[in-house]
Amino acid sequence: MGAILEIKHVSKFFGGLAANSDVSFDMTEGMIMGLIGPNGAGKTTLFNCITGYYPPSRGEVLFKGMKMNGLEPNKVCKLGMARTWQKVRPLAKMSVLDNVMVGALCRTNSLKVARDIAMEQLKVVRMDKKADFLAGGLPIGERKKLEVARVLATKPVLLLLDEVMGGLNPAESEEIIQLILEIKKAGVTQMVIEHDMKAIMRISDRIVVLNSGEKLAEGNPQEIVTNQAVIDAYLGSEH
Amino acid sequence: MTVLLQSLISGILIGGVYALIGIGLTIIFGVMRVINFAHGDILMLGMYLTYNLFTKLGIDPYVSVLICIPVMFIYGGLLQKIFINRMLGALPQNQILLTIGLGLIMSNTMMLIYTSDYKILTTSYSSSSVNVAGISVSEPLAISFLITAAITTALYWFLMKTDTGQAIRATAQDREAAQLMGINVKWMSILAFGMGSALAATAGALISPTYYIFPQVGSTFTLKAFVITVLGGMGSIVGATLGGIIIGVAESVGAVYISSGWKDVIVFVLFILVLLFKPAGLMGKSRM
Amino acid sequence: MRTLLKKLSDNRGISPVTICLWIVVLAGLAVFPKFVDSPYALHIMILLFLSTIMGESWNILGGYTGQYSVGHAAYFGVGAYTTMMLMQYKQIPPWYGMWVGAAVVVVVALVIGSICFRLRGPYFVLASIAVAEILRLVAMNLKDFTNGAEGILATEIPPFKIGETVVTDFLSKVPFYYIGLVFAVVTIIVTVLVQHSKLGYYFQAIREDQDAAHSLGINLAFHKNVALLFSAVLTSMAGSFYAIYIGFIDPPTVLALDISVQIVLICIIGGIGTIYGPVVGSLVLVPLSEALRSNLIAQGIFKLGLASEESAVGIFLKEHLAHAHALIYGILVVVVILFMPDGVLGFVKKLFTARKRENA
Repeated sequence: MGAILEIKHVSKFFGGLAANSDVSFDMTEGMIMGLIGPNGAGKTTLFNCITGYYPPSRGEVLFKGMKMNGLEPNKVCKLGMARTWQKVRPLAKMSVLDNVMVGALCRTNSLKVARDIAMEQLKVVRMDKKADFLAGGLPIGERKKLEVARVLATKPVLLLLDEVMGGLNPAESEEIIQLILEIKKAGVTQMVIEHDMKAIMRISDRIVVLNSGEKLAEGNPQEIVTNQAVIDAYLGSEH
Repeated sequence: MTVLLQSLISGILIGGVYALIGIGLTIIFGVMRVINFAHGDILMLGMYLTYNLFTKLGIDPYVSVLICIPVMFIYGGLLQKIFINRMLGALPQNQILLTIGLGLIMSNTMMLIYTSDYKILTTSYSSSSVNVAGISVSEPLAISFLITAAITTALYWFLMKTDTGQAIRATAQDREAAQLMGINVKWMSILAFGMGSALAATAGALISPTYYIFPQVGSTFTLKAFVITVLGGMGSIVGATLGGIIIGVAESVGAVYISSGWKDVIVFVLFILVLLFKPAGLMGKSRM
Repeated sequence: MRTLLKKLSDNRGISPVTICLWIVVLAGLAVFPKFVDSPYALHIMILLFLSTIMGESWNILGGYTGQYSVGHAAYFGVGAYTTMMLMQYKQIPPWYGMWVGAAVVVVVALVIGSICFRLRGPYFVLASIAVAEILRLVAMNLKDFTNGAEGILATEIPPFKIGETVVTDFLSKVPFYYIGLVFAVVTIIVTVLVQHSKLGYYFQAIREDQDAAHSLGINLAFHKNVALLFSAVLTSMAGSFYAIYIGFIDPPTVLALDISVQIVLICIIGGIGTIYGPVVGSLVLVPLSEALRSNLIAQGIFKLGLASEESAVGIFLKEHLAHAHALIYGILVVVVILFMPDGVLGFVKKLFTARKRENA
C-alpha cells in the first residue's frame, strides 16, 4: 500500500530560527495521523509547509507521489488536500450555506450543484438548520463545525485538521470526535493536530510527536504513551 | 557640477521639512496603525495659521512656529479623541475614509473662508539667498532647515529619554502589551495624534514663505507624506527622516535634470518600486 | 411570463416582486423624457445615471471583492481620454472609440493589477492612489499627446448612424439620457449576474478572508484581476460617456484623486457590497451637490426665513454655499463612517429589523 503523503526531511527556517527541522514521516490511505507536541513545537508550521502557505526551506512533501513544494494553496486544494485553521476563519458576512458553497465550488461551476453539496455537508455536521445564519454570528463550537463542513465540501482525499476541538466543551468535542470517525469511514485520510490527549489517543491510528521543531517519536498510541522520550519532553510536563 | 551641488543642497534643505511631515505621519501610524489621509490638510491649516499671524499680527513665520505647535497639538489631540478613537478597531479602509472625510472638511472649510485664491506670504527674506563657497542657498530654506533640525533633535530626545516618550514607543511596538503594563494607551494615542499634527503644521509654517497657500495644497503633501514614510518604513522615525531627505533630493535633482513637471512622476515611481521590492521600507520591519 | 419570472427568481435568488418593481421603475424612466422636457431635470438624471455606473463598477472590486481601490480615476480618465482623443484627432465616432477606450483600459488595469494586487490592506490603497496619480501627471506632462493642462474640448459630436439612418444627432440631452440609462441598467445587470455566480461567491470569499479563500481552492491573483477588469472596463465606459456628454476633459476633472474618492463615496454612503448601495448613494449625492451648486439650498433658506438675503449671513451663504458641496461630502463621509458603517441602505435596513423585532 503506497503512502498518500510523504514528508521527507522537511525543514523551515524563519530568519535563523528553525520552526521545523528535518521532519520525516509517511501517511497511508485512510488512516488518521495524530500530530502532537507542546506549544511552539512547529505543528502549524508543518501544516503550512504541507498545504503550500510557504514552501519548506529544505526537504520535500509528496502528495500521491507528486512533489508539492512551492505549489500554491489553491492548487493544493484542487489536488485534494484541504486544511482547517487553528484560529477559525469564517467568511463572516456570508451565510453558513454560502460559506460551505464556496468550498463546494472548488469542484463544480454550478451554483445549484454547489448548493446541494453544501446542504449535504451541513447535514453531516448537523448544522443544516442554521444554513441561513450569518457565519460571523455563530458561537465558537458551530464555527468549528462550519469550518469542517466547508473544507469537506472541497471533497478532499486528505484532510488536515488544526485543533478543531480547541476551545470546545466536552459535549462539543465528543461531537467532533464522532465527526472525525465518520469522515474516516467515508475513506478520507486525516492528519489531526490536537491538544486533548484522550481524544487524540482514541482517534489516531498513528501519532507523530513534534518537539522544538523536530520529530521526537512516531508510533501507534500505545507506543507513544509508553515512549520515555515523549513522557519526559511532553507528557511529563503536564502530568 | 555647481548646478548638481546646488540642487543637492536645496534638496537636502527641503528634505528636512519633508522629514518633519513624514515623521508626523509615521508617529501616528506607529502608535495607532491608522494612515492619516488628512495629514496634508493639517499642514495646510498650519500654513493658513501662519499666514494670518503674519498678515494680521505681523508675527514672523518662523516665530509663529511657537504658536503653531501648541495650537495644532491640541487640535490633533481633539481630532483623535472625537473621531479617530472611535475607529481604532475598524477596518483600515474605513479609517482611511474617515480621515479622507476629515481632510475634505478642513480644506473646504478653509475654501469657504478664504476662497480658493492663491495667497502669498512675502517676507523681507522670501527670495533672498546667502552665498556659501560659490553656492547660493535660499535663506528661508536654510532657516527652516535649521528649525527642522532643532525640532527633530528635540523629538528624538523626547522619545528616547523621557518616560512619556518611552511609553509612546512601547505603545507603537505592541499596543496590547503596553496596555497590560499599565500604559494609558488612549492618552498615548491622543499625544501621538497631537504630535503628528503639530509636526505637519510646523512644516506648513516653515514652507509658507516659499509656497503658494491655498485650501487644496494639502493633498500634494498627503501623498508626499505617504511616499516618505513608506520609503523609510512605516512607523520608523529614522526611516521617515531619511525618506524625507531622499524625496527632497530626488525632486530637486529631478527638476534640474529632467523637468519640473516630471519630478512628481519620479517620486511616485520611486514609491511604487519601494512598495514592490522593499515593502518594509528602508528602515522598517516586515509588515505582511 | 409567470414561468419566466419564476425561472429567473429560482436561478438567481431574486424575488418576483423585485423584478416587477424593476420593470415598473424602468418603464417610468423610459418615458420620463416624454413628460419632462426641462434640460436641467434631464441633466440631473444623466448625472444620476453616470454616478450609478461609477459606483456600481467600483463596487464589483471594492464592495464585493474587498479591494479598496482609491485610484479608479485611472480607468475613468483613460476611457475618457481615449474616446475624446480618437474623436477629436482621428474623427472616430465615440460609440466606436469607447470600445477602444475599454480595450486600452484592460491593458492599463492588467498592469495596475500586477502592481497593486501584490499588496494588501492600506498598502494596496496607497499603491492604487500612486498609480492613478502617475497617470494624471503623465497626462499633464505629455502636452503633444493629451494637450496637457489645457484639456481637450469636443468641437462636434458626429451623429449616431446605423447604416445610413441617423438614429440621433446629439443635439438635445435626450439621447444622452437614454444612453446613460442603458449603461446604468447594463452595469446593474452585470453586477447582479456577477453576484449570483461562482465569481460572485469567490469575490466575496476573497473580501472576507484571503487566506481562507486561498485554502478553499480560490486563485487569488486571477480572481482579483477578473474583478478589476469588470470594474475597470465599466468605469471606462462611464469615463467615455462623461467626456462626450460634458464635451470637455482635462486631468483635474477626469484623472484626479478627487474623482477616485468621489467614486468610493458613492458606495460608502449608499452601502458597500450591495446592488442598490451605489444607486442610493447617487440619489443622495447628486441632488445634494447640484442643489448646493445651483444655490437652491441658499434660496430655500431665504424662503423659509431662516436668514434674510441682505444680512451678512445671507450674503455669505449666497456667495459660498455653491462651493460647499465638497464640504458636505466630507461631513457626510464622517457621519456615515462613524454612525452608519453599512451605509444609508444598511442603516435603514437595521432600523426596519429593529422595528420588526419590537413588533414581534
